[in-house]
Amino acid sequence: MREATWVLGVLALALAGYAGRRQDGSLLRGVEAGWRTLRRTLPLLIVAFIITGYVRALNPQDLVRAWIGPESGTRGLWIGTAAGMLLPGGPYVVFPLIAALYQSGAGIGPTIAMITSWASLALLSVSFELPFLGWRFSLIRLALGLGAPLLVGLAASLLFLA
Amino acid sequence: MKSRRRDRTPYILACVAFGLATLAWRRGGPSLAGEGLRLGFETLLQVTPLLLAAFLIAGLIQTLVTREFVDRWIGSGAGWRGILLACLAGGLIPGGPYVYYPIAGGLLQAGASLGVLVAFVTAKNLWSVSRLPMEFALLGPQLTIMRFLLTLPLPPLLGFLAEVLAGKFIDRIREAAG
Repeated sequence: MREATWVLGVLALALAGYAGRRQDGSLLRGVEAGWRTLRRTLPLLIVAFIITGYVRALNPQDLVRAWIGPESGTRGLWIGTAAGMLLPGGPYVVFPLIAALYQSGAGIGPTIAMITSWASLALLSVSFELPFLGWRFSLIRLALGLGAPLLVGLAASLLFLA
Repeated sequence: MKSRRRDRTPYILACVAFGLATLAWRRGGPSLAGEGLRLGFETLLQVTPLLLAAFLIAGLIQTLVTREFVDRWIGSGAGWRGILLACLAGGLIPGGPYVYYPIAGGLLQAGASLGVLVAFVTAKNLWSVSRLPMEFALLGPQLTIMRFLLTLPLPPLLGFLAEVLAGKFIDRIREAAG
């Protein structure tokens, strides 16, 4: 967690410095855009973290480990992929939830499969895709992308073991 | 239709939270129900500096990378070059599905190939630079870097496969969506 704070702090300062040197108001607009996003997502964030808290309080380690733990094998990857497709909401909601599952004993393979599946196959985003690109496009993209979370999760499990 | 979908997430999440709180209450009474709330707010406070930095980064990227910039990049170029440019554009463009799908729809009508569109959407989904700080903050460096590196080849690869295997459907896709 500490490295993350450093890296993000430096990155934010570097971007702010770059935006400030352009002297076209992009620094102020950037800060405002970030603040707007924060204000809009704050209620969601709070609920997401309350859910996270209950996941930790209920301590479902046995359940999580059995379903998507490090030894859950291919079944864990499938469950992670399916769960990822069903997760609702954006990164501010989904990452706290996945982090809570990871801390409750989910394996690195199923966790990465879940992130990849949520990012690329989430059914809620497909419902935005349909009106703009049509069902043929969604079908082609999903057919090609369906194996990705499984493969990426499998690779992560193998790498982590090595 | 769009805004209605966006608005539903808080209710779904609130129901999940309420369900978990009820479960905690039934299993451990008021003390376990309170414990969940306490742990939730404690975690939120812990990651607040990270979240603030992540939101600042996302906001700055949003202003530094404009829509015209992305349009200009993908507007030109076909074949491998178009697919790679589409990947870069998709990775850099900030915003949720209600931002990038309208842009993808615009690109489709502007004559983009299937490979370019699949590469753009997949890169947005898997490379998304503006989302990385959040992932980094909440899941840690090791998992985030591993996930990013493993999914790095996918956008160009899927774009290429889509073009080769189904590229001929693009006219029908364009007509149906237009």
